Amino acid sequence: MIQTFQLMKQVLTHPFNFYNDIQEPKRIRWIDAIIVMALAFIAKLISIVVTGYAFQTREAYEVSYLQEFVWLIVPWLTWSVANWGVSAILDGEGKFKEVFVGSAFALMPYVVMIIPVTLLTNLLALDENSIYSFLVNVAIYWSAWLLLIKVKVLHDFEPWKVIWITILSIIGIAIIWFIGILLFGLMNQLISFISELVQELNFRR
Amino acid sequence: MRVMTRVMAAVVAFALLFTFIPGKSTAATPYQGYIWNSKGRDIASINGYKYKQSIDGYGMPSGAFNAPEDVFIADDRSVYIVDTGNSRIVQLDSSLQYVRTIGDSEGDGVLSEPKGVYVTPDGTIYVADTKNARIVLFDKNGKYMKQFGKPDSPLIGDTFSYSPSKLLVDKRGYMFVVSDGNTQGLLQIDKNGAFKGFYGANHIGFSWGRLLRNMFATDAQKSQMATVKPLEFSNAVLDNEGFIFTTTLGTETSQIKRLSPVGVDTIGGNRQFGDLWSNGPFMVASFIDVAVDSNGIFTGLDLQTGKVFQYDKLGNMLFAFGGIGEQNGLFVTPSALAQSSDGTIFVADKGRNRIDLFRTTPFALLVQKASAFYVDGRYDEAESLWNEVLRENANYELAYLAIGKSLYKAERYKEAMSYFKLANSRGDYSAAFKEYRKEYMRDHFLSICLILVGAIILLRYLIPWAWRLAARRIRMKRSNYGAQQGGGIPQ
Repeated sequence: MIQTFQLMKQVLTHPFNFYNDIQEPKRIRWIDAIIVMALAFIAKLISIVVTGYAFQTREAYEVSYLQEFVWLIVPWLTWSVANWGVSAILDGEGKFKEVFVGSAFALMPYVVMIIPVTLLTNLLALDENSIYSFLVNVAIYWSAWLLLIKVKVLHDFEPWKVIWITILSIIGIAIIWFIGILLFGLMNQLISFISELVQELNFRR
Repeated sequence: MRVMTRVMAAVVAFALLFTFIPGKSTAATPYQGYIWNSKGRDIASINGYKYKQSIDGYGMPSGAFNAPEDVFIADDRSVYIVDTGNSRIVQLDSSLQYVRTIGDSEGDGVLSEPKGVYVTPDGTIYVADTKNARIVLFDKNGKYMKQFGKPDSPLIGDTFSYSPSKLLVDKRGYMFVVSDGNTQGLLQIDKNGAFKGFYGANHIGFSWGRLLRNMFATDAQKSQMATVKPLEFSNAVLDNEGFIFTTTLGTETSQIKRLSPVGVDTIGGNRQFGDLWSNGPFMVASFIDVAVDSNGIFTGLDLQTGKVFQYDKLGNMLFAFGGIGEQNGLFVTPSALAQSSDGTIFVADKGRNRIDLFRTTPFALLVQKASAFYVDGRYDEAESLWNEVLRENANYELAYLAIGKSLYKAERYKEAMSYFKLANSRGDYSAAFKEYRKEYMRDHFLSICLILVGAIILLRYLIPWAWRLAARRIRMKRSNYGAQQGGGIPQ
């Protein structure tokens, strides 16, 4: 646990060192990634709950924690897979474990900032909205920046290749989602076909 | 056992007794009142209007009406019914007794399927004689005075099909004429019959699709495409401040406009009048008539749903009633509406050849009174009335907003905030909150300063100190552990 917190501190203060260090053997564990993602999810839930009335655009019944969870976990998982796959083909050095854990740790700025920033909405009026959105944007851009550093350091790429790989990874994510939705649809068809078949046979028994 | 049976029998007999008591029989209104709240949901409300009676011409010297297209109530409360199917105007007095029929049997005063009428305060009757493509003037005794045919102007052109259906006359004596199928706006005609220009035309909005088509289409293709025209007006009504209310067909927003003398909509904000979704997602409300009372409360008639919608001067929805159906209170094909000075709403139903009258309920009177104060900005006077409204209908969102504004004006920001929250008005809430925050800061300046200083000390000194202490502990533990692992050999 202590070690995980040290890693969290390091990714915020010395991101380049962090991504260098995690390539050492036995430096990271799978559980570290899961802890960070759990923290990110909890932070997101808390931020939804503590948002000030004027800033809350959704009614309580319109918020689904399951949906929030999916929108956090699925992009992370698909990014890890797509980025690892694309880099592996294009001479990247990163291992899947490093990409998986490194991407999770890239969310640390969001985890740290989102709750205090959202608490601020209880003190701000709507016309001071720009302060809030600026701070949220800082958290998001910081996370994106960490992701780029991750791609660069873990796979040992030059800057231009980093951008190229990132674009390819995003395309990869789109393809994975497309196939996922396609499979989901096909499975639905298959399941309903089988259930109808069973029903039909049942009628003719 | 025997006692049990007796008790049971008594209970059953007692219960049976209730089945013989007749239920309280009331003539229920065939529609349920509702309002659309700010979340886009329809919330049941108390009915504002109830069916009172009908006028169908039977038993009057005029005989039965046939497909009435318009009804007009003059300042002296006499009622003019445009009996389109019989090509005449029937005038009733304020107690709905027959006065006279306008429209001669021969000569220039013969009408042919007129669709609109307007009566000026001096009693001159202007009739939009639609089939004859002219406007006919009768004096207050129903005697033919003069007529105006299709106005002559280069702006109008020869291909212009003139078919005046509704009209109004302003204080200067200018006629504003709705011509069926005309998309250029209302025709302004002065008292000598000279054309004075179009007024208040609808605009064509921007469309990405059209931009793309125009960018890539060849001239030949463009000539094949339908030309885009502004939407046409279906009606125009003058209010007592000189503003002209218009209704527009074929649009989802701003179907009712309150045009200033220069032709600008003063209700503003792309408001969606009528039902937000009715029987399906693609039903667009088609407003065909509007009536305005002395407080600026306006009432629109939607042909699509057969419902009548009432709004305050700012466009906030107050009531809805009516609908399509056969019962009294519903309509077959409504065609026009008017409001008399006592609040009664007249709806012409051309499908059933009669005029239906609706009276205000006490709840409607209360809301309208409160709304009049509210719109004038007299929030404190409106507040007690709105509280009364809430006592009768706690779901009336507008009341919370109005009370909130009153509290805001009285600088009771904390209470205003809670009312704005109930009204779902985030913008107003935020404004009240800002004032409340200011007040709070002023009252608690010292403690806020102390807390800030404390927080700085805590963050700058205490937490780093605790962190260092904990880190040292851990390091010590580790080095002890390492020493044990290493077999106690000092390094």
